[in-house]
Amino acid sequence: MKGFLGVDVGSVSTNIVVVDADGKLLVDRYLRTSGRPIEVVQQGIYDIGKELAGDVEILAAGTTGSARFLTSMIVGADVVKNEITAHAVAASNIVPGVRTIIEIGGQDSKIIILRDGVVTDFAMNTVCAAGTGSFLDQQASRLLIPIEEFGNYALKAKNPVRIAGRCAVFAESDMVHKQQLGYNTEDIIAGLCEALVRNYMNNVGKGKEILDPIIFQGGVAANAGLVQAFNHYLNTEVTVPPYFGVMGAIGAALLAKDIYAKKGSTNFKGFNLRDIKYVTTSFECKGCSNACEVVQFYQNGELLARWGDRCGKWELQID
Amino acid sequence: MAKVGIPHALAYYLYYPFWKTFFEKLGHEVVVSTPTTRAILDRGVEETVNDACIPIKIYHGHVASLIDQVDYIFCPRLISVRRHGDFGTETFCPKFLGLPDLIRLTFTGAPPIIDTPIDINQLESKPKSKKDKKRKPAEIMEAACVETGDRLGNSITQSRAAYQKAAQVHQRFLTLLEQGKLPPEAIDILFPPENPISYELENPEFNLAVVGYPYAIYDHYINVGLLNILHKENIKVYTQDTLSDKILNQEASELPKSMFWYFSNRAVYGALYYMKKGYIDGIVHITAFACGPDSMVDRLLEIEARRRGKPYLPISIDEHTGESGVRTRVEAFVDMLRYRRDKK
Ligand code: SF4
Ligand code: SF4
Repeated sequence: MKGFLGVDVGSVSTNIVVVDADGKLLVDRYLRTSGRPIEVVQQGIYDIGKELAGDVEILAAGTTGSARFLTSMIVGADVVKNEITAHAVAASNIVPGVRTIIEIGGQDSKIIILRDGVVTDFAMNTVCAAGTGSFLDQQASRLLIPIEEFGNYALKAKNPVRIAGRCAVFAESDMVHKQQLGYNTEDIIAGLCEALVRNYMNNVGKGKEILDPIIFQGGVAANAGLVQAFNHYLNTEVTVPPYFGVMGAIGAALLAKDIYAKKGSTNFKGFNLRDIKYVTTSFECKGCSNACEVVQFYQNGELLARWGDRCGKWELQID
Repeated sequence: MAKVGIPHALAYYLYYPFWKTFFEKLGHEVVVSTPTTRAILDRGVEETVNDACIPIKIYHGHVASLIDQVDYIFCPRLISVRRHGDFGTETFCPKFLGLPDLIRLTFTGAPPIIDTPIDINQLESKPKSKKDKKRKPAEIMEAACVETGDRLGNSITQSRAAYQKAAQVHQRFLTLLEQGKLPPEAIDILFPPENPISYELENPEFNLAVVGYPYAIYDHYINVGLLNILHKENIKVYTQDTLSDKILNQEASELPKSMFWYFSNRAVYGALYYMKKGYIDGIVHITAFACGPDSMVDRLLEIEARRRGKPYLPISIDEHTGESGVRTRVEAFVDMLRYRRDKK
């Protein structure tokens, strides 16, 4: 069988998928990046290779996510794409005609507006925790309730509590206050879900024309309480796609498929990446007071690329 | 002869050729700080009152880097350069108005600060005639030059002659801008360095209008090299500064009301002008985090861009702006333009 590999490496999670020639998902992996993107990608791809047990030949590979350049050098990618485009491609493939994509991950969130299959507007939040999954994570640990249970609690709520949630710090103190006033946990959790949705809408969703069909994706879409809160806020039904957590990687794989159709060959280095020795070193440039941290990337002792300089003095990429 | 320090920030990008020429003509030496670096930004963040916007913090960093090298710091009090807007009350943003005071109070051991006010509505202490009440911008600039020269021990005659020369160079600068050069390019043409900046492109794939404050657009450090990223993507950049005042001001009639602030009006008018142009594929607005005026400017431009169907990308800059964030947004925006074009 023929397949296409997609890898999405962000600061929190690393997702790896293989799709077949029809774009159907064959395998997926959701891993923690844990600050070691190189090893995680090497091991993850090795494991996927084992799982596929020689049944699938990879025709092309694509990477996305904030570590997309680094990752492309590790795996030998044929296409390197930003997260917005990758998510849009994946969502359009699963729900043709989608007009709004809500994407909330652990550390960031996005909104993508499409019309007639083309992205017309987007926004990203990478600074404010109040509109991302980490907001819920923090509150879950405060309430001593596993985040996986959050959805169930929220669905049981009768009167969600209004939590002032413009900022994660205020939300926390307001939540503690509501606990002390004696509100029950279900209503508080449902209130937190609603607060996150409000934050998201006021932050990334601000001023955007949100039209059906709406896809809700990203790791946080696992939370039924949030799905309900979005439905309630938007007064419609959002669709959570089956592989909501790995949509970026699926997008990268689909883009690889497109490139392969044009190019007919691949740079993919194979599943046995684990045997290649990748090393990054860094040094502080003394060229000027920017003091850039320049990163050097080696494959089996050979310098492949350099980046991190502000002025282009060190920039290097050997194909 | 004195050494006069000009911080490479804020109004530098539009007025450097003028003041450099003026001081040099008077026989003084001009020391300009280097383009913003991490050290300058860090120093600025450390020194400045916390709630200041990032461009003001950067300005402080530049002043700090000049302190030990010069006899004077040139920090004019920019109040207003024209009578414009409703009731003719346009000024620079309030933070410009108080800038010399901020600098003086922050850097107590600094060399003297030349804080000549530039104010179109300024009256002489005893107006000699009615005419003084309605002075022209050029007269205001000349008077500011005389006052500045006086601080440095130059006579009125010397300052007036230097003003004439400076005004000529400024005119050459404006002409270069109208020919499509961006301020850093035009500055390098007027005063050629070893490696002049150039954004020439043979066959650009797209034309984008990048609007915002000059000190946000042309400061490569703070916007993490946006102009270079666009240049590498083969995109030609137009800004409000490549339009003449006349063209910009025509846009004022598009709005029921003007903003109060000079640089904000320029950004808005520039954006409105480009939104109407077929050759412009999209608008990028660089906004400064914690900027009061920008919270209005950005919303206004967003609404207008949507109304006119022009792709619009706001990029907010602050001291933590990462290169990857800007790059991701720009790449996604360019992808979006490509898909749009291919669909047609
Ligand atoms: S890499 Fe360039 S910008 Fe960075 S410190 Fe060295 S000389 Fe300066
Ligand atoms: S206009 Fe905004 S960015 Fe510029 S000085 Fe004023 S507050 Fe700062």
